[in-house]
Amino acid sequence: MFDKHKGNKPQNDSAPPPVASHSAPATPTPSAPAAGKAAVIGPGIIVKGDISGTDNLVIEGKVTGSVKLASHEVSVGPSGEVNADVAARLIRIAGKVHGDIEADERVVISKTGNVRGNITAPRVMLEDGAIFKGSIDMDPGDAAVVKSAVAQSRPAAKPAPVPEAVSDTSDKAPDLSLKSG
Amino acid sequence: MNLAVSDQAGGPAAVPAKPEPGRQASQLLSALFRRQENAGKLTILDVGRALPETVTFCSAISCRIHVVDLFEVLRGGGLDPEGSGKTLQRQFQELLGFASGTRLDICLLWDFPHYLDEKQLRAFSGALFPWLQPHTLGHVFGVHSGATQLLNREYGIVDERHLSVRTRTTPPMKCKPHPQSFMGEWLTCFRNVRGVLLPDGKIETLLQATV
Repeated sequence: MFDKHKGNKPQNDSAPPPVASHSAPATPTPSAPAAGKAAVIGPGIIVKGDISGTDNLVIEGKVTGSVKLASHEVSVGPSGEVNADVAARLIRIAGKVHGDIEADERVVISKTGNVRGNITAPRVMLEDGAIFKGSIDMDPGDAAVVKSAVAQSRPAAKPAPVPEAVSDTSDKAPDLSLKSG
Repeated sequence: MNLAVSDQAGGPAAVPAKPEPGRQASQLLSALFRRQENAGKLTILDVGRALPETVTFCSAISCRIHVVDLFEVLRGGGLDPEGSGKTLQRQFQELLGFASGTRLDICLLWDFPHYLDEKQLRAFSGALFPWLQPHTLGHVFGVHSGATQLLNREYGIVDERHLSVRTRTTPPMKCKPHPQSFMGEWLTCFRNVRGVLLPDGKIETLLQATV
């Protein structure tokens, strides 16, 4: 059911998840997760049940049940449809996921991703265009206090990208301060 | 709300630099988060669409953010237009979908209240009230007068001093801006703490729960 192949090309975190080759899934491709072996559930495959193991996993097909790959990486490709809770070290989503997501390291939802569920992870990245409904529970660890976050976001901090310019957005500072009596 | 006009912090030297396109300076976001510095892990409600910059900002703090896109619900006709106040309140409670025990620290309401009429806004307020605590703060855009035009925009948090402003990709919805006095009367779960009049007639407002 699963095809395994070696990943041999480093991946950018924000890059779309790998796309498995449907016609030749056993062939090593640069689409596998960054390190180690990766099992691939191809676009034509439907899995019902619980998935666990010690390899990375690329999902291009449909999965219903649960996915638990504790210290590994799960990538849901653009054609992937997951109706399951997913737990892994790193989770990248470019397809559809309906379920709770728990990552030890980070969750990345790319622009084609559509997630409905609750996410628990130290860090979550959402690309522009991604659809998310639910809650996100984040705890970056040592810096996990509001004080530090507020401090980080002060002028020297690099702001999150805002891709779209709005021509009529106020380009002036507010000119009055009003206080309630 | 009684509004007393005062000078904005300091003289000419205090005028912030011109923000980049797509951003809007905010004087209240810092207060929103600074007041919660000792609150531990924050629980945040965002009634808008999940935006990358907001998630990135929140990713730097210890928090749980609930993203409930109520604009989409309105657009999809998800509220019963003929429903009673109780029916609407129940609908909002279901939409918010909080787990038992949830207590909100921050509510990001943006300009959502202006897309509701009085009955809906009172129902929304009633649905939100049980999840608030005395220290819960809110952020909302009020308007100086009912004639103020609200554009089809959505908002996010870039950093402590800037909001992001995006043009919605969806068609504008029916909107009737509520002047501050009405907003204060209908959004009963909050009271206004501070407002900053923006050049476009909106009033960026810091709210405090009435719990």
